[in-house]
Amino acid sequence: MLGALLYLRLTSLKNLLLSRLRRLKQPKYLVGAIVGAAYFYFVFFRRFGRALARPHPMPRGLALPALPSFDVLPLIATGGALLLLIIATFTWALPTARPGLAFTEAEVAFLFPAPISRRRLIHFKLLGAQVSILISALFFTLVSSGWSFLGGGALIHTLGWWIILTAVNLHLTGATLTVTRLIDGGVSTARRRTVVLGIIGLASAATVFSSWSNTPFFVPGEPEGRGPFAGLTDLCGYLARLLDAGLFHWLLLPGKWVMAPFLSVNGTAFLHALWPAALILVAHYFWVSRMEVSFEEASVATSEKRAARIARIRGGGAFSAAKPKARREPFRLPALGRPELAFLWKNLLSTYPLFHWRTWLVCAAIILVGVPWIVRHEELKGVAIGICIISAVVAAYTLLLGPQFSRQDLRSDLGNSDIIKTYPLAGWQVVLGELLTPTAILAGMLWLTLLAAGCALEPGVVQLSWFTQGVRVFAGLGLALVIPPLCLLQLLVPNAAALVFPAWFHATRQRTGGIDVMGQRIIFVFGQFLVIVLALAPAVVGAGLIIFATQWLVGLSAAVVFATLLALAVLIGEIWCGLWWLGGRFEKLDLATELRP
Amino acid sequence: MIEVSALTKRYGDFTAVRDLSFTVQPGEVLGLVGPNGAGKTSTLRSLAGIIPASSGLVRLAGHDLATDPVGAKRHLAFFPDEPRLFDYLTVRQHLAFVARIYGVAQHETISEPLLVELEIADKADQLPGELSRGMKQKLAIACGLLHGPKVMFFDEPLTGLDPLGIRRMKDSILRRAREGAAIVLSSHLLHLLQEVCSHVLILKKGEKIAHGTLTDVSAQFSNGEANVSLEEVFIRATGGSEN
Repeated sequence: MLGALLYLRLTSLKNLLLSRLRRLKQPKYLVGAIVGAAYFYFVFFRRFGRALARPHPMPRGLALPALPSFDVLPLIATGGALLLLIIATFTWALPTARPGLAFTEAEVAFLFPAPISRRRLIHFKLLGAQVSILISALFFTLVSSGWSFLGGGALIHTLGWWIILTAVNLHLTGATLTVTRLIDGGVSTARRRTVVLGIIGLASAATVFSSWSNTPFFVPGEPEGRGPFAGLTDLCGYLARLLDAGLFHWLLLPGKWVMAPFLSVNGTAFLHALWPAALILVAHYFWVSRMEVSFEEASVATSEKRAARIARIRGGGAFSAAKPKARREPFRLPALGRPELAFLWKNLLSTYPLFHWRTWLVCAAIILVGVPWIVRHEELKGVAIGICIISAVVAAYTLLLGPQFSRQDLRSDLGNSDIIKTYPLAGWQVVLGELLTPTAILAGMLWLTLLAAGCALEPGVVQLSWFTQGVRVFAGLGLALVIPPLCLLQLLVPNAAALVFPAWFHATRQRTGGIDVMGQRIIFVFGQFLVIVLALAPAVVGAGLIIFATQWLVGLSAAVVFATLLALAVLIGEIWCGLWWLGGRFEKLDLATELRP
Repeated sequence: MIEVSALTKRYGDFTAVRDLSFTVQPGEVLGLVGPNGAGKTSTLRSLAGIIPASSGLVRLAGHDLATDPVGAKRHLAFFPDEPRLFDYLTVRQHLAFVARIYGVAQHETISEPLLVELEIADKADQLPGELSRGMKQKLAIACGLLHGPKVMFFDEPLTGLDPLGIRRMKDSILRRAREGAAIVLSSHLLHLLQEVCSHVLILKKGEKIAHGTLTDVSAQFSNGEANVSLEEVFIRATGGSEN
């Protein structure tokens, strides 16, 4: 029977690899694969090759350049063990319902009714996980090849990662089954959490309490007079000693055993470190394989949730697993009026309740009252400058990354394009309507940052002769006027990508990866950045030239007004062209055909 | 009414629908049948303006779909086999949205009786994710009927419905036809066509094999036999295979 299950896994893996290779016949995947491979080569493989060529005169615990006199490996081992302990704690404490082993819907349909024992199903899960564990171990080996503090070689690192990931997988499986059994046995979530968190909390408290007096801030031989927070080296050393004391030492010990093979500096050390880690793995295996728990019902529910989530993502929906909730309408939508506003209304309903005009007003009021108060106090001048800097950074991030996160537009509605296309609307109306919500959100955020910076940037705060009240007001108003079209233009680019290259866009939305899909994502991000720079160049250059040419004649404030008008005209012209063109693309779009493999 | 003349839909080198012509008068229900891959869905999607036809003429309620798509779409409703709904809009919010898109003034006076007729009035404040498959289908129908379309396209309208839902769907289609709508429906369920359709059009490999009233088409393939079922007619017309 296990042979059949193994056949299923290996055949699926083989067919997956073959289909990935076959799809390289399509230029979009081939180009993506080339870019992805180039990325891997330049970021990882080249460095990995150099690391292999470099001899390892490894004393135990190669030092970090920043910590020349500090042996970091014990700290890494302790930190890793702490991370494993945190993962384990969450696994035991978090589940509120019966957690199920994750099977796909096909596996549920074929395997659950088949004459296969639970124990074999668990073995099937464990074996199946090994495929992704091995791939992950290889990937992490590449990533960790750049960690200069590590000893050992590629083989030791790969085996080390395999041991860590397998231990985590076995523990998660065992914990899932045990929690299911506890719930079936009537143990409430609150009781389980109290016990788990109580043990961890008591151990932590006992350790901190006993270590406070027993763990010295200074190691004998080190110069005295330096506190543990005098430098990074001292702090790391102190933390390592603190976590290695008392009850915590015993709680972290299994994790340290699991980490030890990965951190071994040579083959001999690896063999020495191997047997405690192997002991942990074997103990976990026996724990998991001896569990007799009826996990099927919970697994069916888990697989259905997983399938629904995948379907939602493929349909253009959110990655979030959260279930949508009915919400109050953001504003009253009369039956008559511009149809584009209906899309704004609809898409606002799909965002967080926080994005509401009342929230913006409250924030604006706080800024209008708070920031001038800060500016009025000379001793808070630094805070005012800080507000300016933070506002500028937030605005830059919102402008550059906002369109990637605020996706309540065509990108989320592509799955409904068949129905939307039957509406009595021109294509450009649909595109414009769909873009209004993210434009409103991003513009609202940018206006707030502008308001904060504008209030903080009093002419007295910045000592620039040309920065007068007039310039401040006109530049602020000009920027405020330019912000909505700027956001709209920014949003046109990713939406254009979704409409012009729907198959690419769709491929990048899948959770299933591959080097080719990763390459496609890189191309997408680079392409978006390039198009935005090209689109903004005429407005920026034109506005700059206007200011340069007219400020001598009409003064800087008036020049700013002229520059704003020119920038607005250029941006609106570009937006109009973009909407008209994308509208045509939307009218011709046949998603079903585009996504046909 | 629906007028289709020499409709052709090509995907690259592949022709999904070839030179298709037919007319559906107000009050008529045309059943579109054919084996898998015959071009039924491509035909329906071209007629509904979802995908542009490669060539040919489609007029809906007197509006040319190619030159006046907005005018034509004001009069049509398309019901896909899988209801396409917005995850974050409740039943009532769906209707408010559609009313704004179609400019249906005082839509509450239409939507409330519609919800009662379709038996989803008690679900008005629920999201699609909280509705059963049949309820979602009803919501999609309510959205489609809100603007009083003169032309309707149904793609496999009975998919996923329980027996009661099937009965109600049939009654609903017949009622709209009696009220003067021109209806095209595509289905593999020949008994549905027999009960609901006044006309039938059989497609195979994108081409029209037969078109006319049920009696005419039955007579065409009955070879003089009496009481030949539509299933037998379909098998004879299509040669019993997809190719």
